[in-house]
Amino acid sequence: MMDLSEKQWVKHAVLHPFEGFEDMRWKKSGSLRISFFIVLLFFIGTVVNDRLYAFQFHNSYDKLFNIVPYFVKSIVLFAAWVIGNWSVCTLLDGEGTLKRICIFSAYSIIPYVASLFFTAFLSHFLIADEGVFILCLHYAGIIWTGVLLFNAVKTVHQYSFMKTVSAVVLTLAAMLIMMFLLVLVMSLFQKAGLFIYSIYTELQYRFRV
Amino acid sequence: MHWFKNSIPLIAALLVFTSAPHVSARRTDDTYNYDRWGEAIPSRAGYTAAESISGRDLGVSDFADISDIFLASDGSFFICDSGNGRIVVTDSEFEKKAKIIDEINYKDQKLSLENPGGIYVSDEGILYIADTGNSRVIRCDLEGNADLVIEKPDSVQYTAVTFVPQRVLADKAGFIYVVDGNITGGAVLFDSEGNFSGYYGANRVQQTGEVLRNYFWKFLAGDEMRKYMTNAVPSAISSFDNDEKGFIYTCSSSLSQDIDMIKKVNAAGYNLFADMETDFGDRPTADYSEYPQNSYVDIDVSPTGLINCLDYTNGRIFQYDEECNLLFIFGGKGYQLGTFRQVSAVESSEDCLYVADSQKNTVTVFEETEFGRTVHHATELYNAGYYDEALEPWFDVLEQDGNYRMAHKGIASAYINQGRYREAMKYAKLADSQWRYDRAFEGWREEFVSTHLTELILAAAALILITVFAGRYLRKKSSCSGKTVKETAANESNAEGDEAK
Repeated sequence: MMDLSEKQWVKHAVLHPFEGFEDMRWKKSGSLRISFFIVLLFFIGTVVNDRLYAFQFHNSYDKLFNIVPYFVKSIVLFAAWVIGNWSVCTLLDGEGTLKRICIFSAYSIIPYVASLFFTAFLSHFLIADEGVFILCLHYAGIIWTGVLLFNAVKTVHQYSFMKTVSAVVLTLAAMLIMMFLLVLVMSLFQKAGLFIYSIYTELQYRFRV
Repeated sequence: MHWFKNSIPLIAALLVFTSAPHVSARRTDDTYNYDRWGEAIPSRAGYTAAESISGRDLGVSDFADISDIFLASDGSFFICDSGNGRIVVTDSEFEKKAKIIDEINYKDQKLSLENPGGIYVSDEGILYIADTGNSRVIRCDLEGNADLVIEKPDSVQYTAVTFVPQRVLADKAGFIYVVDGNITGGAVLFDSEGNFSGYYGANRVQQTGEVLRNYFWKFLAGDEMRKYMTNAVPSAISSFDNDEKGFIYTCSSSLSQDIDMIKKVNAAGYNLFADMETDFGDRPTADYSEYPQNSYVDIDVSPTGLINCLDYTNGRIFQYDEECNLLFIFGGKGYQLGTFRQVSAVESSEDCLYVADSQKNTVTVFEETEFGRTVHHATELYNAGYYDEALEPWFDVLEQDGNYRMAHKGIASAYINQGRYREAMKYAKLADSQWRYDRAFEGWREEFVSTHLTELILAAAALILITVFAGRYLRKKSSCSGKTVKETAANESNAEGDEAK
């Protein structure tokens, strides 16, 4: 039973929040290519949601376009989640491999990504007084993704309910630590770069007779 | 030669275009405005400095430390020459021979002035002088005959040790308001007999982290300890002015608190600008690397209701309309005409603005430019609700300064009124006014739906039909392939079952 194509598995996993991932794990399904595509859509959705939102709801700073914040808010965030979850759950006897965690997590963010696009689309037809519809859609996407993500972690590592909760909390902590280290490393490299540059200018002054 | 003949008009056109900017009256003043993102952009000048008046120009000795100026409703101009202890009276054109008031007759004695800080002249021609050095407020006529002298109030409510009147004001009922240098609880209020009757228009205390922390410690501390702890005090009022309707506008020169810097206070002492989301003065840069340090020493309301705030830090004048929309920023620090070293007071007439400098000891006269006149005309119409009438002046404004944000707002409002929603949306977006855009969009959507109802219904029907047929087709296709899948799945499960057995 349950012999679905990879595309059908996506639909199955998203529409069956409590059973879908178990089935998928049982059949060893899920494609890394599709999950990368979803993350790409997540990135595009983040940009669209900020830039193409109707003006009556959202005022974006359109004097300049900087892609880095969008990149951090989508792809870096997702990568931090996957790596954080993997590093925490390897220590907590989780069964999931990095690849499986990536696939399952990517499938679970589909409702949120969809809500990013749908809310941006819908905003062009509604006035500010009707904004509650958009809000509903937005929260539906978040809650759905939350449930899916929770079950994805639960399934991929074969955890109990309570252990999943602690794993999620620890993953969030791991993400924060990673972020902190990243900032630290970046400032260190910046300092090192500045140091080399100042040596260079110093030498330049010396050798200019 | 043929190519030359053809290019003559071209060359002529080039000459005309390149020389055009030199012909037009260009202002070189360093004026700016804020765009929709709150970033400073160059803007056309609304006022230009015409002349600066020193004591010698008026035929009297040089001024020393001008502390206040006042333009009375009959056109006479008062200069509070603090360092010389005198009041110089002239007219707003500075042509009349100046009259000097330096001795006040009061009950058969002669009073002299010492560092007077502020003057006010009521419509009836009664002069109020804040005689700072002598700690008294004098009410007299224009000949210098006083009928009232107010000294330090003898009341338990008045807790300060000294009385330092710095600015003075009187309302139509004869109540006298005094800015006291060591009172932070607002202006000191006296009735027309000179009796102390309380305080008026206190600023609020800004809720900073330090204030909250002090609250917490005070909650824990004992009575004895509380005595030695610092109290959070509001910033003091530095100056005020009243308009024709009786509202009093106050300003504050505090650098540590930015709440209630500019207020419009009604008779009950309630600040009408309290809930308004307006930033007075300069704005922080986008990354908050530079934080403005505005410190207002004087405020003035023009006869037409424009609010002029005088910033001591940068020597600039910020002009707002009665709805607190920023109109112009001009002035600055420097030695040339139109810039200042140490500003002390501002006054305005219908089309002129006067700024006193206590270090240059001059009064600089600013005249409205043509651009300024157009903007003022348009704002006046707009604020009175004549949106359609204001449309033409607003377009004039845009022609002279395409970045002028108020013009976009005004045009958007007018177009919404006229039902030209599509254009209104464009201008509302340029003005960065979300609620105007929302209203225009609502109108446009309604119009669109009512005019395209048939097409919309047809499109909806077509969409439903397509989804139904596409769904049926897809289901058929998937059920065909699904059958084989199910069969194989059944076989597999059988095989598994056999193994389990």
